[in-house]
Amino acid sequence: MIDWTFDLLLAGGLLGLAWQIVASRILFRSVVLFIVFGLLMAVTWARLAAPDLALAEAAIGAGITGALLLSAYRALLPDRDDGGEGGSPPPAVPPWAAVGVAVLVGVLIAGIGWAVVGLEPPEQTAGRLALAKLEASGVENPVTAVLLNFRSIDTLSEVVVLFVAFLAARVVAQDLVHAGPGDWLRASRREPLLVQPLIAFIAPMTVLAAGYLLWAGASQPGGAFQAGAVLAALGVLLRLTGRLRPTEETSLPERLVLVGGLVLFSAIGLASAGVASAVLEYPPGWAYELILLIETALTLAIALPLVLLFSGSGGLRGEVR
Amino acid sequence: MALLDALSAGLLLLGGLFFLTGTVGLLRFPGVFDRLHALTKADNLGLGCVVAALILQAETGWVAAKLVLIWMLALIAATVSAHLIARFSLRARGGARRTPP
Repeated sequence: MIDWTFDLLLAGGLLGLAWQIVASRILFRSVVLFIVFGLLMAVTWARLAAPDLALAEAAIGAGITGALLLSAYRALLPDRDDGGEGGSPPPAVPPWAAVGVAVLVGVLIAGIGWAVVGLEPPEQTAGRLALAKLEASGVENPVTAVLLNFRSIDTLSEVVVLFVAFLAARVVAQDLVHAGPGDWLRASRREPLLVQPLIAFIAPMTVLAAGYLLWAGASQPGGAFQAGAVLAALGVLLRLTGRLRPTEETSLPERLVLVGGLVLFSAIGLASAGVASAVLEYPPGWAYELILLIETALTLAIALPLVLLFSGSGGLRGEVR
Repeated sequence: MALLDALSAGLLLLGGLFFLTGTVGLLRFPGVFDRLHALTKADNLGLGCVVAALILQAETGWVAAKLVLIWMLALIAATVSAHLIARFSLRARGGARRTPP
């Protein structure tokens, strides 16, 4: 009974929020509601007994994406000092087009759902196969086994997507408009007293949590994506409080980190073609070590583009305050 | 065990009550400071009650320690963000030019 009520509340909340996000005329409201949507989504994944997804959704879907959207929203605001004309309202989609697309998508989803419901349940699903072969993967967490071993090509592609997204953002990036520290960080104004203690406590805790998530990924929910998102959150915090200064050019270490995950992943995958039997198949006995190595590199390669996307800059420099 | 369970349930209900009043206050109060005042009740006391209830149900000490850590992190984050919001809004309405920190 309680379960049903809770699930109904969740589903109703998700649908209601989704409608509010799309229908709201106020952009800021949509952004905030989207963050709430991400949180509810995370709870939903947890309810569906998928803690890995719940962690990823909470960290990336609600946290980092929310920060990205808020920073994009701030960039869209017309500059009050200029009194300029910037910030023209986005072109409205004609209602008939919206309804047409909605109906089309609805029919498509309903059709797929109808087809899937009509299917015979397969005897041997990929999930069961993965669970049966879990011992061969080198890790105990089935999700990590699938992500980093059985279907590592997918993970590799996901990291490529993130990297390409960062490159694309750099291509269309404008000059650093918000390069300077925020208003309250100007030298004439003192930093709020509580910020420094917050950083001093949160920063080590975040690094610890990211390391824990990375390490736990082998046997429990966790892994590179969650750890990377947590690290990225620290980067966002440091950027917001002026501990990191955005720069146009990307330094060599940053470039190394950005491509490090991809290069290492691909190199190990290709090398395995010689040592083991196939591309992206780990040599026997080395799976765990290699997975941990790749995940570590991936954590950094996921965290840095996310922070740079938030910062809207090519690089970051430490700023001594 | 029954006593522990009852205590947990009571604490959870109390926490939910704090969250409810905090949310109602956040929605109904007119000004920024009033809303912050309402919000802190939900954040600190509500979450505190929920965490205390969960600690009673925790199987190992580590789980309890992690829960306390979560509560502390939320407390610190809520404190600092409330402070920053209050400070900003005091300045935005042309209040104290140089607000003491």
